[in-house]
Amino acid sequence: MTRFLLLLYNEVKLFRTTALIHLVAILQPAVLYLLMTTILVHPTFDLNVNRPGSDLEASLLAALEQVGSPIGLPYVNPILVDWDGGPVVRQVITVEEREGVPTAVQYYGPIDSNLVKNFRNRLTAAALRLWDAELGNRAVNVEEHAWLPRDVSYNVYFGLALLPMAAFLAAALTGAALTAQEFEFRTMVEYRLAPAAPGLILGARLTRLVLSALVAAGILLVAVGLVTHAWPRELWLVALILLPLAVIAGCLGIVAGLVFRKSIPAFLVALVATFAGWILGSAFGLAASFGTGYQRISRLTPFTHAVELLFPRYFGATVGSPVVSAATLVLMAGGMIALAALAYRLRVVRQEGV
Amino acid sequence: MRRFWILLRTELLAWRHDPITALGGFIPTLFILVAFGLLFGGRLSFDIAVVNHDTGPYGAVLRQTFDEVLSPFGEPYYAVSDLAEEAAWEEYRTHHLEGVWVIPGDFSAQLEAGENPTVEMHFSNYNDDRAKNHRIYSAEIMWRFYEKAGQPAPPLALAEEYPLPQMIEWFPVISVGVALLSFMLGGMVNMFMLTMKEQVARVTLEFGLAPRSLAWVLLPKTLLALVMGLLTGTAFLGILSLWPGVWPGRYLGAVWLLAGLVILFWVPLALLVGMRARYFPGMIVTILTGLTVFFVSGGLGLVRANWDAVPWFSRVFPNIYAVDPLRDLILFHDWPVDWSSALFKLVGFAALSLAAGWGLASRQIRRPG
Repeated sequence: MTRFLLLLYNEVKLFRTTALIHLVAILQPAVLYLLMTTILVHPTFDLNVNRPGSDLEASLLAALEQVGSPIGLPYVNPILVDWDGGPVVRQVITVEEREGVPTAVQYYGPIDSNLVKNFRNRLTAAALRLWDAELGNRAVNVEEHAWLPRDVSYNVYFGLALLPMAAFLAAALTGAALTAQEFEFRTMVEYRLAPAAPGLILGARLTRLVLSALVAAGILLVAVGLVTHAWPRELWLVALILLPLAVIAGCLGIVAGLVFRKSIPAFLVALVATFAGWILGSAFGLAASFGTGYQRISRLTPFTHAVELLFPRYFGATVGSPVVSAATLVLMAGGMIALAALAYRLRVVRQEGV
Repeated sequence: MRRFWILLRTELLAWRHDPITALGGFIPTLFILVAFGLLFGGRLSFDIAVVNHDTGPYGAVLRQTFDEVLSPFGEPYYAVSDLAEEAAWEEYRTHHLEGVWVIPGDFSAQLEAGENPTVEMHFSNYNDDRAKNHRIYSAEIMWRFYEKAGQPAPPLALAEEYPLPQMIEWFPVISVGVALLSFMLGGMVNMFMLTMKEQVARVTLEFGLAPRSLAWVLLPKTLLALVMGLLTGTAFLGILSLWPGVWPGRYLGAVWLLAGLVILFWVPLALLVGMRARYFPGMIVTILTGLTVFFVSGGLGLVRANWDAVPWFSRVFPNIYAVDPLRDLILFHDWPVDWSSALFKLVGFAALSLAAGWGLASRQIRRPG
């Protein structure tokens, strides 16, 4: 045990040789999250509305203000403008007579189809309110049955899906860097000649990578909490879910370092595996909602399983099959440990000249 | 002038020893393009099921309406699965469906009698933006349904005016943002790698001892990085001409000018990183800086129409001023309305960065020891 602790201490001290990599790998997901939350979609849109001059226009404005979620945010923030019919940058709504019929006309600037969709839908929702009011009992009532008691900000899901990525990135990148530089600095010879068992050396490195991963995830978790005020239930369970993921990532980094023995290719493998896994692994929404093909590929990554296990901690509702996901993560971690041990044996123990 | 050519040739030879640097601006951007293409380049309809128990005609009319109402993407808002009720609920429960609409058996009867007919809309709301879409899409469906069902005319009709003959699609907008990233990374990676190699090989020590101005050293380096950035970005534009099928055509020169000025802003910063950072961390910093700037500087959407929402930190990068003019040139083959002001700002950014970068780099090279 003393030897293991000494090795672990040495692994932690290696931080000094790769301080910048550690900082980037550990802080980057939290920085990415904080930046992305400033530009991610938000349900409330500013809508430019020509200043009302009639009762009908005033009632449209009132209807626009009512468009929103009964269990969440309003969808329209009307901005009153005095539009003179000149060029439009974004959009403006005005009421005019067209063929003798009062018409709410939305003038768009050269904006993309997604923005047009959002503006169009909001105006329709407001105009439908006026129509429903006029129809009275003949109006159709669309009764909403939302899955969760409150609409949850997308920032919560985005942060949740970033947690596995944060843990993975930290463990994979630092694992790749530390292992590759053992060859570049020729310190791998010391490990080969050391009387310690390879399992002990690998175990110490893996433990230290897992700790780095949990620190990275912890920082992101705090960032998500501060931005959204959403904190997970049972924090220890979050750490437990991320544990096998960190092991998988750490082993991947170690294997990449052992195979390539150079920093850049090992780094690229770790980086590409992390970002590919994150995007394919439910990064932007639950895998099932992106179609069968995506879901199948997604389930091959540990990310989707981690996201589905983390989901109840934030949303209080279960998705997927927790037992299957937990078992998959544990199996993947076991497989990666075996692979890392094999790679270590082939590249270090059996190699004469390194 | 001969001195300049010798140093440029030396830089080129150094690059030839490590041509993989050309991929630094290409691989990450290609990866992003594919990722966003998969996410936003495909079908964007919501998958739902409609369970129609109605014994009268209006339930079928409502069901038909879902297929008829098209979004600005040119496809229906909803892709309706015709599943049996039990299967529909199972698919909804497992999140394969975004929602389930239930039309009750007496829907038509209630509608005809004017007794507040009701339909149920079950939907997922773990993402408030998608929940919002369910609510506002349903308004489009009901509007069209009222028209088809022969309800009295609305108090306020709806119309819209779009300034272009064709709607701007979202994915091409993103792809131009990625192209700008490719230009930028192509130049930065080249500058970082070559400078770092010279630093490791102690060539910078020789530069420091040179009796001539260091501009003879920094100019060829900067020019080579600029050319590499332009080549990388142009190759990336070649990919965009295949998917999603956009190419600047005769505006290529203007694209090079704007992108070149952006490259000239970033290249001196990469020079400073190359003077200090080691190989591995420097690459990480370079690529992650590029990715972060892409996300916060209009890479994902049109900037002009959202200028009020642009955060302050995005405004300190030149990319935010270049990306929409580039979209005008590449997507619409049209001269940007803000061409002069964009050019003025980009020249300012480039000049400031070159002055600061070259100045700091010169000081560092000249520093004894």
